[in-house]
Order: sequence, then structure tokens, then C-alpha cells
Amino acid sequence: MSILVNVNSKVVVQGITGREGGNHARAMKAFGTQVVAGVTPGKGGQDFEGTPVYNSVAEAVEKQGANVSIIFVPPAGAADAVLEAAHASVPLIVLITEGVPTVDMMKAVQEVKGLNERNLQGGGAGIRLIGGNCPGLVSSGEAKVGIMPNSIYADKGRIGLISRSGTLTYEAGKLLQLAGLGTSTTVGIGGDPVIGTTFADVLPLFEADPDTDAIVVIGEIGGADEEAAAEYIAAHMNKPVVAFISGRSAPAGKRMGHAGAIIMGNVGTPESKLAAFAAAGVPVADTMPEIVELVRKALNK
Amino acid sequence: MKLHEYQGKELLRQFGVAVQDGKVAYTPDEVRDIAREYGQAVVVKAQVHVGGRGKAGGVKFSPTIEKAYENAEKILGMDIKGLTVGKVLVTKAVDIDAGVEYYVGMIVDRNVQSYTLMACAEGGMEIEELAAERPEAIIRHRVDPVTGLRPYEAREVAIKAGFKGNLNKIADMMVRMSNAALARDAVLVEINPLFIDADGTPLALDTKFEIDDNAMYRHKDLLDWRETAAEHPLEVEAAKYGFAYVKLDEGNVGVLGNGAGIVMTSLDVVNRAGAKPANFLDIGGGAKAEIVYNAVKLVSKDPDVKAIFINIFGGITRADEVAKGVIQALEEGILTKPVRMRIAGTAEDEAKALLAEVNSPLIQMYPDMFQAAEAAAKDANSAGQMNAGSNSA
Repeated sequence: MSILVNVNSKVVVQGITGREGGNHARAMKAFGTQVVAGVTPGKGGQDFEGTPVYNSVAEAVEKQGANVSIIFVPPAGAADAVLEAAHASVPLIVLITEGVPTVDMMKAVQEVKGLNERNLQGGGAGIRLIGGNCPGLVSSGEAKVGIMPNSIYADKGRIGLISRSGTLTYEAGKLLQLAGLGTSTTVGIGGDPVIGTTFADVLPLFEADPDTDAIVVIGEIGGADEEAAAEYIAAHMNKPVVAFISGRSAPAGKRMGHAGAIIMGNVGTPESKLAAFAAAGVPVADTMPEIVELVRKALNK
Repeated sequence: MKLHEYQGKELLRQFGVAVQDGKVAYTPDEVRDIAREYGQAVVVKAQVHVGGRGKAGGVKFSPTIEKAYENAEKILGMDIKGLTVGKVLVTKAVDIDAGVEYYVGMIVDRNVQSYTLMACAEGGMEIEELAAERPEAIIRHRVDPVTGLRPYEAREVAIKAGFKGNLNKIADMMVRMSNAALARDAVLVEINPLFIDADGTPLALDTKFEIDDNAMYRHKDLLDWRETAAEHPLEVEAAKYGFAYVKLDEGNVGVLGNGAGIVMTSLDVVNRAGAKPANFLDIGGGAKAEIVYNAVKLVSKDPDVKAIFINIFGGITRADEVAKGVIQALEEGILTKPVRMRIAGTAEDEAKALLAEVNSPLIQMYPDMFQAAEAAAKDANSAGQMNAGSNSA
């Protein structure tokens, strides 16, 4: 098994007729993901290389049984696309789009949380948003709902990976692959300040996954998600966790590419994150290759 | 986008917040005229996009018209943390002793996935300092992003913070500040100090306002307020190419890569190799030769840069495209500094073949990011020593 996505996931691509949406729909199919539908309002009835396109997510759910949505809609309409999928009760919504206004994300995240609670109370599976500004997620050898390079995730491994960065996720995935450890599921949670799913939300899923032996958390400067993750690990995790923090030499007050990667006052500093992981007994790799060493060490304990 | 005090005040005024009157001036003569018009003591305040204006001598109380002129002469043209003061805000001075000063502000808070309202009965101080020294003095409250701050919540916060004065008026001001923040996509809005006069009426004496860059498309009316003069010229040029670029102080190695995470890590690796990164530059995913060429051109213009470290992890980015971009810069004579690169991923062999053909010592490829960073650091540091040597000779 794996977490969140697997061979049975039926994916709808919101924005499939756009350049990004189209390219990545093709790459996901090549990976082996079941891409069952696309949505582009106004283009319902067309098809994208054999995949039917609908006017709404609700229609894609009804006609094709889609249970995962991946969103490539431009920033101005991205939050609305999230809400459309959430109101169509899609259990997993992955927002790839970068550059969504923060206020839009605040409103969308709050509404999705409300819908999730109502859905759970009604006996449903819940509704989860991952991202935005994220590379998506992939269960190696099973299904990719994201934009990462296919080759790194072809074969199933036993290490879970959670990351705020895109390229570093690929880099770490490649290192684990070369080391013969491989990844079970990789979750890119996104580099924006307000995101749907945090490290601490994903950790319990890996803890419960029988096919994951250890977890790698790739954090960066800004915010306090790493601190919250450390707290969760100390209190609830039995499986070993290894961490990495990027941007340790970044100056305060400057945004490092990601909207959320900024040290504000005394919040978001690498020192605070390192201290939190140390207190939780989580080893932190100083370099990317050291991640592999630390995972090996943790598994041999 | 950071706003000046006078711009932030204008936005707050549009939402009905009572702000201290003022006028913008560009010359000491204009300041004198404004002071004469007000007919009372004024404060001359530098309008620059940095904190700590007061401490740097950029804010001066001026009891007379002559003093206002004198202070304007001092402040206009003054350098505050590398920025030249080009304009001042002249406001009527307030008798601080006749009232009290508080702090209220709202920030995007990822921990609550919304805004957090902050209130504190100790105004005038930098909130960061206060948060570090006495965090318990700051009352925090999550604001619902859909409803905004409601009056009863504002009253609750004001009471908890120990605010004295007209409770309804103070709460009303906080609600209006929240409305402004939500409507104008603020990342941060602060009223500090929030002055409460002897009658208990609130007045915003100073403000900080920063707008979410991702939301600027719906605030086109504010685009004129964007001041490129306050930004580093290379940052302005980078914005034209659509690059995420940050100039870093005291660096000697230019750094570029594909993706914010990998570039952040590249900065760390350069540091570890004993040099200092001169910039952060993310060229994005799937970069073509032309984009790489533009990026190399941009970084080469930086006089601080003595060597360039390129770190590409190719998923969608092709190594040969990166090599082509660098080679083009070399052939056009733009590239005069050593480029040390690590390009992992697709078409690595094609990239190596292209570089072998050019066979320039200026461009070298390495199997991993550490070797590439170390080579760049060594080149940059030895270039620095050579310069130091020639200076002393």
C-alpha cells in the first residue's frame, strides 16, 4: 500500500486544456496514473488525447467516478477551482498553481476544512487539500498526481517523503533511489504561507502505513510548520524521522523564491527549527546526501 | 509590495480609519510651506522602505517653521540603510503626553491559516522587539478571513490588551483596519502608534502596510506606487525576465538554479564551501537556453560576483539547453567570470559534448553540487585575494 494515492486513484485534471495541464496530464498517464477526466469550463464534450473533458468537476465525478483532482488553473481562478472540487466532494484535491493570492487561500482552506468536517460527520472519507504551489504527490510504482519527473518514482521503496520544495523533493527522491532505499509515497505540501496540508497532517498517515519504514521531512526557513512537526513526532511517532532544512544561510526579511520562505523577526529561523528537531530527537542532515546516511542509521537501530 | 507611510495612511483613510493628517514634500521649501499652512509644530518623516527610520534620524519633531525647513534639509537626501530619502511626510505634531500610545496590527499567520490580529498597550515600540522581550504583552486573535474582524471580537481584544479610552471607537477602528487588510490583500498592516487622546478617541499616527505581490493583479490602481528606485537595480531587471531574484549582501559567488528549494540549498552549499552567495536566482522549471542566457547575463552584471555556481536538477530542464545558454553568453563576450555547474538529469551527455567542443576554462561541469560549489568558491575567493593584492601594491 501507500498513502493518499494508489493504483485505484481516478484523477480529474482541472485545466487539462491549458499548456501545463495538458503536458502533465500526458506525463501522469505515462506514469500509469488513471487520468479519467479533464475539466475546462466551456469545453465540455471535447476530449484531450482520449480523455473526456467536462464543464464541471461534479460532472467528472458523476460520469467517471473521479476521486482525486489536480488543479492547473491560473492563480486568479485557482481558489475557486479548489472550492468547486471540494463541493463536488472530491476526497483529495491537489493544487499545483503557484502565485495564488494569500487571502484567497485563507478563505478556501477554511471552507475546505468545514466541508471536510461535515463530510466526515456524514460518514464520508473527508476532503483534503494539498498545496498550493506544490509539486503534488506520488506513490512510487503506483500513481502520480503531480509534476515530478517520472523516472525517479518508477519503483516502490519504503521511505516516506514530505517536502515544502519541489526540486529538493526530486533531488532527495533520486538520492534515496540510488541508495536502493526508494520512496513509498512522496508528498509535496507546497511553498506558500497558507497551504491545505502541513507536515503534521501527513506524518500520522505514514505512521499508519505498513509499507513505510522511515520518513524524511524536507523543510525550509519561514513559518513554524517544522516546529509543529517536531512536536507531533515527539508525542506520536514510533517510526524514525529524518529532517533537512534548506535556506539556512538566508538573511532575515528577504523572501527566498517561495512566498512562505521568509524569516520574519524571530519566526521562521533555521535555529528555531533545528532546536525543535533536536528536542524531538530527530536527526537533521546538513547536506542532501547525508539524508541517506541518516535514514540508513535510523533503520539499523 | 511595501507601501510608504503616507500611502498606507491613504488606504486606511479610504476604509474610514482616522489617520494623522499629512502632506508629502520633496524639497525643504515645500516642507516650509506645509509647516506654515499648518501653523503649528510638525513632524518631518522620511518616506523610505526600511524599518528603524526614527533611530536613523529620519523622523524629526519641528516646533517652528524654520526648524521644519532645517530638518527637511537634513532628512532629504539622507542615507538610511542604503536607501536615499527622496521625500518626506509632514504631519501635525501631536502632544503625546496628552494621551496614550498603543499598537494594533494584522499579519498573515500560517499557523492559523489566516490573519492574526495583534494588540498591545505598549505602543511606539517595534513589535518584533516586543515579541522577543515580552511576548505576553501582545494579545493575539485569529481573524476569520470570510467575515473579517467583527466589532465584538475587536472589543474583546481591546479589553484583554488593557486599552483605555472609548471602547467602541477603538474597536471600530480595528474593524476598519481588518476590512482594509482583507480588501487590499495585506500581508501586514500595522497602526503603531495608535494614539488615544484625552477624550478617548483613537488616531493612527503611523502605519506600515504591505500588499501580497500575488494579488497585485487586482490592485492595478496601486501599481503607480511601485518604486523601483527602492529596489536593487538587478532586482528590477530580474523582475523583467520574471525571475525570482534576491541580491544578497557581501557575496562573491553568483548562484542560480531551477526551483526555490534547490537555490536555497545552493546558497547553503556555497557558504559551507567557504564563500558567500551574492544572490538568489530561481530560473524556474523547464528552462530553455534563452532563459539561462538571460540569467547568466544578469548575474554577470553584478560587480560583487567573482564566480558563478549553477545548480540544476533536471526533471523537465534539459542539461544541453542549460549548456547552450551558458555557451551563448561566453561567445557574446558577456561571460567573463568562471561558471562552475552541476547539471543532473536529462541530456547530460549532450551537454558535456557541447562544452567539450567549446573547451573553455571558464565553463566547467561537475558530477555533484558540492564539487561545483567548492570550485566556484575557490575561484571567487582567489579572485578576491588577487584584487586585494593589487590594491595594496
